[in-house]
Amino acid sequence: MRLFLHLIKLSILEQATYRTALVAGLVTNFFWGFFRAAVIVALYNGRSEVNGLTLEGALTYIAIGQAMIAFLSLFGTFDLMTTVYSGSIASDLIRPVPLFVLWMARDLGHSLVNLVVRGLLLLLFFALFYPVVMPESLLGWVWTILALAASWLVSYAWRFLVNLAAFWTPDARGIGRGAYALSQLASGFIIPLRLYPEWFSRLCHLTPFPAMFNTGVEVYLGVVSGSQLGWALGVQGMWFIVLVFLSQIILRAGIRKLVIQGG
Amino acid sequence: MRHQLSLYLRLISIQLRSQMQFRVSFWTDVITTGLLNFSYFFSTYLVLQRFGSIAGWSVAEMAFLYGMIEISFGSMDMLFSGFDPDSFSRFIRQGLLDQVLLRPVSVALQIFGSAFVMRRLGRITQGALVLIFALVNLPVHWTPLKVGLLPVMWISQIAAMGALFMAGSTLTFWTVQRVEAINILTYGGVEVMSYPMTIYPRWLRGFFTYLIPFIFLNFYPALYILDKPDPLGLPAFSPFLAPLVGGVMLFLASRFWQVGLSHYQSTGT
Amino acid sequence: MSPIISVQHLYKRFKILQRRPGLGGALVNLLSPRYSEVSAVQDVSFELEEGEVVGYLGPNGAGKSTTIKVLTGLLVPTSGEVHINGKVPWLERERYVREIGAIFGYRSTLWWDLPVIDSLELLQPMYRIPAERFRSNLREFSRLLDLDSFLNTPVRSLSLGQRMRADLCAALIHEPRLLFLDEPTIGLDVIAKEHIRQFILHVNRQRGVTVLLTTHDLADVERLCERVMILDRGRLLFDGSLTMLNHRFESTWTLHVDFEVEYEDVSLPGMDPPVRQGLHAEYHFDHRQVTSAELITRLLEKFRIRDLEVRRPPLEETIRRIYREKLLIN
Repeated sequence: MRLFLHLIKLSILEQATYRTALVAGLVTNFFWGFFRAAVIVALYNGRSEVNGLTLEGALTYIAIGQAMIAFLSLFGTFDLMTTVYSGSIASDLIRPVPLFVLWMARDLGHSLVNLVVRGLLLLLFFALFYPVVMPESLLGWVWTILALAASWLVSYAWRFLVNLAAFWTPDARGIGRGAYALSQLASGFIIPLRLYPEWFSRLCHLTPFPAMFNTGVEVYLGVVSGSQLGWALGVQGMWFIVLVFLSQIILRAGIRKLVIQGG
Repeated sequence: MRHQLSLYLRLISIQLRSQMQFRVSFWTDVITTGLLNFSYFFSTYLVLQRFGSIAGWSVAEMAFLYGMIEISFGSMDMLFSGFDPDSFSRFIRQGLLDQVLLRPVSVALQIFGSAFVMRRLGRITQGALVLIFALVNLPVHWTPLKVGLLPVMWISQIAAMGALFMAGSTLTFWTVQRVEAINILTYGGVEVMSYPMTIYPRWLRGFFTYLIPFIFLNFYPALYILDKPDPLGLPAFSPFLAPLVGGVMLFLASRFWQVGLSHYQSTGT
Repeated sequence: MSPIISVQHLYKRFKILQRRPGLGGALVNLLSPRYSEVSAVQDVSFELEEGEVVGYLGPNGAGKSTTIKVLTGLLVPTSGEVHINGKVPWLERERYVREIGAIFGYRSTLWWDLPVIDSLELLQPMYRIPAERFRSNLREFSRLLDLDSFLNTPVRSLSLGQRMRADLCAALIHEPRLLFLDEPTIGLDVIAKEHIRQFILHVNRQRGVTVLLTTHDLADVERLCERVMILDRGRLLFDGSLTMLNHRFESTWTLHVDFEVEYEDVSLPGMDPPVRQGLHAEYHFDHRQVTSAELITRLLEKFRIRDLEVRRPPLEETIRRIYREKLLIN
């Protein structure tokens, strides 16, 4: 646990040195939020609510999406596969911490810095131009924090799994791009899932992807409430466990392959 | 001029050869790049199933806007690969520009020839498929002028967005840090141009009309081709301004590039 | 005959942004940048005649690379005149660089991912070399530089020595009259260095190529250059032949003597007593006051001697002293 915290701290310090990159990312995400908000307003075209999502709710949904791009790494990460290709994964494998936990610490440090700098600041700026709603009660905040934390876990587990492709193919980068395209679409990041046709959003809910973004935002917005809350978080937890389980099996096979072929 | 062209083709063919060396990887790259970009249109397509139209534009009309600009941006990104501000700033930091300056050939030509990212083919292809979908589903009354306008749009859009790439690269002669602003313009420009411009707030539309006149590149020609009334009441020749915009932007960018280059030569790195 | 390179009162000053620390500092930097000026080259003037091989020496940061960059047209000077081949390098870059070859030892001028041969073949249309000339030059250079074994290897997988040989071929394939070399032997082993020196001498003698080279390896200078220029902190301290350099700055030579029999006292009147070890003795003397011939005659008159050897101090030491003396002048 102490090592885990230490790794997080290291990763936070490392992130903090990329100040200009952080600011540049913030500005870019902010402008995109603007473009995307315009699309939402035009789609609503005067309607105040569509399928349980108010206009303010939909705009806030977009703002949170832009704010969480870096926190949830919604465009994907490719760091782990790079270490497989460069061979530096060897030094990570001999550490006294499982690979999954090691990268989790690194990822979390990076995510936390981005949550504060790019996430909260973006929401604040955005609120100056568009209505941004907030949970009404303290309890609402508690559920939100739990659901967003769960989103982060599912997102991390998914990206870890995708990166493992590097054990089998020199093409993992291309595969990753395809996989992340899928998760962006089906997680609700591009358009809130509720605004899709019924059949498509139901299809998405059969995958782990809504658990890594849509659920968190809907809990924040209060669209999911009451007894549904426990259920929603339960589904997130379930997907996390499934993804962890899968990735551990695949990782073990991957390492065996690495050892036999000598990388 | 012919000599320059053949030299350029030769530089490009070398690029292609080295990219094709890893053939499997090449095709996965093309396909996944295409898929990634397509997922954005697919999502618009789905959401319009529920909403019907956006600012009075149907799915097929949206597909026209989107398909056009995607084809152009993909082509531009391929043609101007060397001027991609992110990779160009790396090029400078590695000191590779000195090597270019030592050769008795124009610097711009060598930068054009220094990269040609074939992966963009994926983006162009998905754009083309979406455009075909649009043309099949739209009852366009084709006239020779409308047919002629399509390639003009394509070339003008390439020129205008390429000019931004060039300007962004030129900025890296002074600073590596302010490139992001240009990226917002190029990538943001594509995003903005793939929707009807009427959805944007006045100030943003004003920006894209008078400062960076992207509105004439895609939106106005599309209005003309699709026989849609002009909701903004600009002059009747507005649909035909695209080549002027593209030409002027590229001209200004190349002048700026010259200034940047002589700045580089007076400071070094 | 007019000189092939003429440099008059060359100055190059750089502005350097003074960074203030911290986030606030970064913001202030953006709004009101504060610059300090650094003079890389100050009032440097020299001329080179066609066919010369000249060493351009100086400690790190002396301004050697800046000068070379100006002379190759990469950098525009702050002031001063440069005429090379009758052209001003930075004013007509494209026409000018056709007539020169240049190598920067720390970085290849070839295409990193291409096999050597592809890189070289690209140069043919770039420099518009007639196909026949190109082929015969390539044949000759690859024989002299032993390129055949790695012509099909990508530049990125070459060893440093191979890369430098390929670079030399590339720098000369268009038959330039001038060759600029910035640290051509840096990081190479003894054999590779010698190979490269031989080649440089060859193109200088056979083709009359004028060579200006910077180096830290004084063996390069001793082997290649008849003339050296020494630069320190942007100023030219010395410009003359290697012999002149020796003459002016190497005062203390050493005469090593092996005697046939052991003598009680081997010192000579008017000279410092030698350092002795058994039958061996070392006489340190100022060659400007006593010639070695004179010293040897006096020794042979007094003693039975088996062997004699005059040693000059290595060039390195001389040059180090020049920097030191300059320091004293300042």
